[in-house]
Amino acid sequence: MAKASDFEGKKQDELFYFVDYSPEEAERVGYSNYSYWGSVIQNFLKHKAAVVCLFLFLFLVIFSFIALAIGKYDYQTLVTDSSLAFRKPNSEYWFGTDNLGRDYWCQVWYATQVSIRLALIVAVGESILGVIIGLIWGYVRKLDRFFTELYNLIDNVPYIIYMTLIALVVGQSFTIMAVSMIAIGWLVMARRVRNMVFMFRDREYNLASRCLGTPLWRVLTKNILPYLVSVIILRMALSIPATINLESTLSYLGIGLGIETPSLGLILSKVRGFFLDYPYLLVFPASIVSIISISFYIMGNAFSDAADPRNHV
Amino acid sequence: MLKYTVKRLAQSLVTILLIATIVFLLMRCLPTDYYFTEEQLMKFTEEQKYAALEAAGLTDPIGTQLLHFYNDLLHLDFGTSRRIQNGASVVKVIGKKFGVSMRLGLISAGISLLVGIMLGILQTAFKDKVFDWIGTAYTVFVNAVPSLVSYSLVLVFGSKYLGFPTLYSTRNVGPSSVLPIVCLSLASIAGYALWTRRYMVDELTRDYIKLARVKGLSSSEIMFKHVLRNAMVPMVQYIPQSILLTVGGSLLMERFFSVPGMGPLLTDAIQRYDLNVVQTLVILYAALGIVGVFLGDVLMMLVDPRITLTGKEAAR
Repeated sequence: MAKASDFEGKKQDELFYFVDYSPEEAERVGYSNYSYWGSVIQNFLKHKAAVVCLFLFLFLVIFSFIALAIGKYDYQTLVTDSSLAFRKPNSEYWFGTDNLGRDYWCQVWYATQVSIRLALIVAVGESILGVIIGLIWGYVRKLDRFFTELYNLIDNVPYIIYMTLIALVVGQSFTIMAVSMIAIGWLVMARRVRNMVFMFRDREYNLASRCLGTPLWRVLTKNILPYLVSVIILRMALSIPATINLESTLSYLGIGLGIETPSLGLILSKVRGFFLDYPYLLVFPASIVSIISISFYIMGNAFSDAADPRNHV
Repeated sequence: MLKYTVKRLAQSLVTILLIATIVFLLMRCLPTDYYFTEEQLMKFTEEQKYAALEAAGLTDPIGTQLLHFYNDLLHLDFGTSRRIQNGASVVKVIGKKFGVSMRLGLISAGISLLVGIMLGILQTAFKDKVFDWIGTAYTVFVNAVPSLVSYSLVLVFGSKYLGFPTLYSTRNVGPSSVLPIVCLSLASIAGYALWTRRYMVDELTRDYIKLARVKGLSSSEIMFKHVLRNAMVPMVQYIPQSILLTVGGSLLMERFFSVPGMGPLLTDAIQRYDLNVVQTLVILYAALGIVGVFLGDVLMMLVDPRITLTGKEAAR
């Protein structure tokens, strides 16, 4: 193999020249230490804003536990005392008190945990369900028609009807909320995955794989799934702000989580009548929910850029 | 084209009928207790309840009820409302609310189209400069933060510092619609700006733009006559749909500002077992959505003559 130093001393116009036969060079195999996930992490770390967001989010999660531990009141044992209502934040009540004289600090941090937990569960759940169904939908031709019709049927009825009916018929609780959001949320993911699978399923390398007798699940997981990682991650990350948004809307309308499981949306809807006079009631939950949502939005975009193999090298 | 339109309309009718059937069946899953007001539920004996349900035809087998429903639909009879507005025909109930939502929605759609696309153009023109960053920060904020939070922020800012009313009122329509319109526009401005910028930036690197620049066209001419027009092609499809669906109102916004519009009607009707209202609303929304998609396709064809609808298979 010619090195740059070999060219020294040669004339400029001599672009090609003979080299001697060397057995080592002939046996050399092209090798690169490329690793997919290594490159993904490397590219992700280059994105400063996303890294900041990641730390911000982790800090918030850890701090919510610390906050509940060091807070002077426990959420489960709060008592209403209207003589203590609307205390501004002070050394006793760090976030002040709400309209019923209950400590706001523990309510806000407890609700933060509930919201994050719900969003993570829903995001993971709908991704898993969506990817599995999407892979089958895209790969098995015979089922395409069935799934497309199913998608149209579910998608064309306004989601608010499902949510209201579930709240009225089944009830309102954390589990019901999570399950029903997953049951409707997989549609978007499945459709995206299906479209991607359509693009890749009949590429030559998959044809070759099939001819060689590679089992179906292996074609799906090893040949096709890696191409979908960036789409899946983006969708998953964006579903977290979307879930928080949907949950807060539903809670505001009274068909979200039950009263006994506070979430940031429920807290915001509870103080709707008061925050004009007592802005601190809005500021604390609003800023926490904004930080969570924005960090996932930025992280998701950065991670999906990093996970796209075309952006590597 | 005519044949295509007719075919597509026929398909849409089937879709609407299917949706109506599903909603019809879903609504029958609701316990019949919701049929009564709380007062009635306390007072009525089981026999009285049963008699009331029987009189309303709710004890018939599902098949019979469904046939009745289809028969009424065929005669374009949408029935009367029961608890939203006792005895009034559903068309009247919806007609009253419809105007309020549509007025707010249309103003906001106009504003967001204008401002959103302008913002997108400016962001493209000042790409990677401070203005672009501000615009991107705005779109990220609006897209990521829950609407409840951004509405609250608009409410606090608008009422405390600018003195606009915090609730919608029919006596004071002008000033009290300002904050609802701002809230409605926030998200759609961000949407239009995001996609305008995205498509325009993609378009900017094309060869024909280079050629235009070499020919000596001014950059504003390139921006408006070439880049914007081509970038609008993929966006134009969504415009009729978003304008038509303003009629449906916004659930959260209308609750938040107590606007007497269409938004909360659907949930209210479900919670009060007002079946006719629910079914009519769903049929209306589905029809609007389908017409919107169709108009979008037509508009796309007008903007970009290379696209034909009849040649390839329809999207829906």
